Amino acid sequence: MASAGTSVGGVTVLPESFTLVDYDAGAIAEVAARLWEKIGLPAELPLRIEVDETTPLGRAYVLAVKPAVELAVESGAFEHLHQPRQFDPERTADVLGRLLFRLHDRLDPAFGDPPPDTELPLPASTAWDVYAIGRLSRLGFVVQRPRRHYQFRVRHGFSDHVDAIFAQLWEAEGLDWTTLQALSDEAASAA
Amino acid sequence: MRRSFPVEDLARDDRFVRVPMAVRLQDGRQVPREGPGSRRNGGRLTPDRPDSPDAARLLMHGIFMGEVQALEGAGRTCWDFDTTGEPGTADSDTPDVPFQLKLDMARQCWDEARHTEISCKLTAHMGTELGEFAEATFLYEAACNPDPVLRLTGVNRALEGLAIDVFNTMREFGQVSRDPVLEFCEDWMLADEVTHVKMGSDWLRRLTEKDPERRERALEFQRVVDRLFSLGGFRGEDDDSPVRLARRFRELAGFQSEEIDELADVAREARHEAEDQTRQNRAAARAAQPTS
Repeated sequence: MASAGTSVGGVTVLPESFTLVDYDAGAIAEVAARLWEKIGLPAELPLRIEVDETTPLGRAYVLAVKPAVELAVESGAFEHLHQPRQFDPERTADVLGRLLFRLHDRLDPAFGDPPPDTELPLPASTAWDVYAIGRLSRLGFVVQRPRRHYQFRVRHGFSDHVDAIFAQLWEAEGLDWTTLQALSDEAASAA
Repeated sequence: MRRSFPVEDLARDDRFVRVPMAVRLQDGRQVPREGPGSRRNGGRLTPDRPDSPDAARLLMHGIFMGEVQALEGAGRTCWDFDTTGEPGTADSDTPDVPFQLKLDMARQCWDEARHTEISCKLTAHMGTELGEFAEATFLYEAACNPDPVLRLTGVNRALEGLAIDVFNTMREFGQVSRDPVLEFCEDWMLADEVTHVKMGSDWLRRLTEKDPERRERALEFQRVVDRLFSLGGFRGEDDDSPVRLARRFRELAGFQSEEIDELADVAREARHEAEDQTRQNRAAARAAQPTS
């Protein structure tokens, strides 16, 4: 029988216990619940996070939004960079914060209608990440602005104008998808 | 000043954390080679991989740590051995080396110090903090062999050979991601690495000219180090090897085609061994899990 997972508030984490990594499902759920509340996601919408502990890679993505939000995360995404197989709450907040801010945008009718994640071009997806992580930093979470800057440059080019657009996205609030995509396109054509 | 400095005593400030190889090898997780969960485009470092900027950052940090250790290793080789024919320097506990070899190592120190500075700046350019990733020390460990011939063969032919492969991979990533800073820096460092490998090849030939047994021991040590530096298939010639053997640059550094073929075989074996090890680790982790 499948495990019911570990729950904190409306957040459920699977598996309940880990064998290949030294993670605590409850600790993951606590980070997610704190983000959920701070970002302002609807309390009635449940969140389920499934961690794949068989791979050290670090991909994380949204599997479904309704009737419950489902996230799939590879174990490397939550791992401490200095301690193999150990849980890092700061990295976890960075990974989940990015996904949950994007989810928040998708649930906001004023944001518009971006394509599904699987169909997003990498430059636009990276621009959206910058917008998400910039807001996450203003909520007081630890983030890596230089890392996000480099990711943005790899996708858009290495020029002063690209850097200016990165700064604009990082500081932005209340963007919609059309504006975000236009900024990404402008950066890509400016390099 | 003592000779043959142990790896545990290398000076690092509190930004740097070491993860022993034994700890890394205990990991039971594995990246599937194909199907769900495998890497997009294999493991190759290309911009169309969603995680390529972070993969490049990790690799660049590894290069930086490697440059620091290469500087430490070449510096030790300038000191650890007596110089042939110099009065007053004979030490019966250590083998002699020609003064010219020490000069080559001093020149290499100069290069490695410059590479360390370049890598430090490239790391910042790529948005990475020094010490952000854990340090692996097996590069310096290869530079601790008490026989200067084995040391130079292990370091200059195996380790610096790996540097050729890695720098070429990063140079190509700089090219395709239109990052002129990365591309030029890697290109310049790559040119130095070719020289370092050639130094290793030349000294191996000269110092073992009349001692085929010692030459064979040195080449065997190189094979061991090459297997280690293949990092479980991270470096190899398979389609999904993140770092590919840079055949052309290796030829420029004095490698024969057959040697490069042999290296590709070693990398493939290392990959299979790593996969077997991971399977064993995973089985052990599952066996240790209490049954409900």
